Amino acid sequence: MPRYRIKFSKQGAARFISHLDLVRTFERAMRRAGLPLVFSQGFNPHPRFSFAAPLPVGVAGEQEYLDLELVEAWPADAVARRLAACLPEGLTVAGACPVPGHAPALMASVQRADYRVHVQLKEALTPEQLDECLHCLLSLPEVTVIRKTREGKEKFYDIRPGIFNLTGRIDGPEVLLAMTLQAGSGGNVRPEEVIAALAGKCGLPVLPGALEIVRTGLLLAGDETIA
Amino acid sequence: MINLEKILPRVQKPARYVGGEWNMVRKDWDKTPVKMAFAFPDVYEVGMSHLGLQILYHVVNSRPDTLMERAFAPWVDMEAEMRKAGLPLFTLESRRPVKDFDLIGFTLQYEMSFSNVLNMLDLAGIPLRAADRGNGGPLICAGGPCAFNPEPLADFIDFFVLGEGEEVLHDLLDLYRDCGGRTAGRAEFLRRAVRIPGIYVPSFYRVTYREDGGIGSIHPLTADVPELVTKRVVRGFDRAPFPTRPLVPSLGVVHDRAMLEVQRGCTRGCRFCQAGVIYRPVREKSPATLRAQAADLVRQTGFDEISLVSLSTADYSRVDELVHTLLDQFAGLGVSVSLPSLRVDAFSVALAREIQRVRRSSLTFAPEAGTQRLRDVINKGVTEEDLMAAVSTAFGAGWPAIKLYFMIGLPTETDDDLAGIARLARRVLAEGRCQKVPRGRLKVTVSASSFVPKPHTAFQWEPQDRLAELRGKQAYLRDALKEKGLVFHWHEPEVSFLEAALSRGDRRLGMVLEEAQRLGCRFDGWSECFSFDRWREAFRRTGLEPARYAYRRYNYDDILPWDHIGAGVSKAYLIKEHRRAMSGRPTPDCRAGKCPGCGLCPTLEIKPEIDGREINAPLPDQVQ
Repeated sequence: MPRYRIKFSKQGAARFISHLDLVRTFERAMRRAGLPLVFSQGFNPHPRFSFAAPLPVGVAGEQEYLDLELVEAWPADAVARRLAACLPEGLTVAGACPVPGHAPALMASVQRADYRVHVQLKEALTPEQLDECLHCLLSLPEVTVIRKTREGKEKFYDIRPGIFNLTGRIDGPEVLLAMTLQAGSGGNVRPEEVIAALAGKCGLPVLPGALEIVRTGLLLAGDETIA
Repeated sequence: MINLEKILPRVQKPARYVGGEWNMVRKDWDKTPVKMAFAFPDVYEVGMSHLGLQILYHVVNSRPDTLMERAFAPWVDMEAEMRKAGLPLFTLESRRPVKDFDLIGFTLQYEMSFSNVLNMLDLAGIPLRAADRGNGGPLICAGGPCAFNPEPLADFIDFFVLGEGEEVLHDLLDLYRDCGGRTAGRAEFLRRAVRIPGIYVPSFYRVTYREDGGIGSIHPLTADVPELVTKRVVRGFDRAPFPTRPLVPSLGVVHDRAMLEVQRGCTRGCRFCQAGVIYRPVREKSPATLRAQAADLVRQTGFDEISLVSLSTADYSRVDELVHTLLDQFAGLGVSVSLPSLRVDAFSVALAREIQRVRRSSLTFAPEAGTQRLRDVINKGVTEEDLMAAVSTAFGAGWPAIKLYFMIGLPTETDDDLAGIARLARRVLAEGRCQKVPRGRLKVTVSASSFVPKPHTAFQWEPQDRLAELRGKQAYLRDALKEKGLVFHWHEPEVSFLEAALSRGDRRLGMVLEEAQRLGCRFDGWSECFSFDRWREAFRRTGLEPARYAYRRYNYDDILPWDHIGAGVSKAYLIKEHRRAMSGRPTPDCRAGKCPGCGLCPTLEIKPEIDGREINAPLPDQVQ
């Protein structure tokens, strides 16, 4: 079956759609678009498509991916155009390209994610102080966070190896951070954890409860680029 | 535009508040003369499951000169954030304060949402009492089933819309535009609106009370105000406007599927049922119309399921044919067809078995009462044989679980009727065993709700059972249904008690509602929010007794608080039905061809529409 990789964004009102609801929203959009979908077998057939990596509720995604199977080959730009015309507000399609049938599953190819985080500050900061703060975190040998397991137990986890890049600049009353973090089946580092570590271990004066997080990109294995 | 960016990250399910769904209509505010907000007094997921919202949204937004936007009750966490930030109630489309609209229309689907109506007005920054609202603000109207006894809300609502909204809404919007919009003033608009059939302006009536607490009189204040306001009904239902481009929520809602209304009204005549009266007469759409609407719906929404909705879809005269053509039509598109409820008979089960691609684990039936005697009293035309045939077919077709709905506290109920509920449940369980349903999966769930007497029904004069009696009956059933494979569910009797008080209440209850809102009552239909103590306190502060409303037995010649509201069915007929109930005599459905004489067709000059055509039911020898 021909497979297509769709590059899309989830912003504005749509960033509040949960992952489960996003699956349903895309399923309906694909049906409205009249795409020749491939349905799963069984009592309750669903069109076959899968996302690269779920986005948490409230986090916008500027370059997200999903792989979609069709029963017949269509020009990739027609798939993109038809789907784009049937999406609700805040979801847009940037393009589509065919994916070879033997390519690994999309979810398994995700390696890193780029984020932009807007942090409100409790007090003013100089650029030098900010640099110091970021440097402080990056020079720590390990950054241990506590995560809750599904059973509710607490578990220690070192996020430092999963922080690949961290830069920032002052923008009026807030700090704008850019970070590249580990993502995918090998493990995930969440931007909130990095911010909490910056606040807790390196003295970044974060105003609690006021983070705006945007996932700006996903790095896939083999660095497959997309139109 | 109201800025929610700061508060949305702090609330549960923020998608409830942002709009942007597929098929949403956002019109140019400045170029649209008349603006109306549809206010649903419950959360988004409940409101978006309501077909009435979709119909009226379509009707108003189809006009070039009017727009409609939606507002829902914010959940308690969001309300707290909004109040803290000083943000008013807003609509999803343009995120404007509802106060900026010309008209705000509430839908009243259940009594326990009344506190939310008041709370939404308060959150909108609109004075609760109509008398305290000056010119310049929006007009507040309300419709839906609870508008058939609007009296508890009479002080807060400028006017009520009785019956079906599709046509009367046009009359209202035209009038508003012709009056010159907001410049005309509320009094002028209401004076003219009262001449539109189906419009009830409560401030134009005076109610007096007797010493014993009953109603002394209900009088229009002036000669041009009708003594009886009768509901509106849509004629030529086959051609009625229907939204084939409904809003498609991006958040999982209660009924998350395409809704195709196959007919309106149900004339089975269950004597406790208000819907059976207020949606009369039965009007079916033709299969051709339904096929076209179904195709359009699926194309425009992308839903994977289409539900054939109505009060009793298995009664649709060509349901078998319709279902099969739809199944053929959607084969290969991954779209399934479903029925929202089943009649208690083998035919319905066979139909459900054919169409249910997603095999849900249980089927639900509503015998309502445990003995034939009581089922005759309530005119539930179902026999024990019907039920056994239905469950036998269901078990045989592979459904391992059955749910049975009953009511307790029905008029004339005896211990024998209660025992009958347990006996029926056990018989169904035995049938499951007999049909070799695996022991671990076989389950018979019994749900017992408490009878609430409703206005405009044959039981409107009947008292509700006392709380202690209802609790005792629940305890009895809990005991009697203790067995592996049987599960018993019941409703909080306190909620049913307040529901009875509000459903049969009069204008004085406005004081109670005001106190209740002040005390923090909201989302009373949600067990996590409902507080009986708060309601008791609200009644105490006003000196009114809920028991006097819920437990009163009215006489036939008493003036009822809703006597000036007409559902089209004559009081003489309801009295006759009440008498027949007391002597256990059933009344047949007029679909069968014999008119029982409810009086609706001559009063509203309408006829039942079966299969898209008007029919004449032969009149009985004498119509009372």
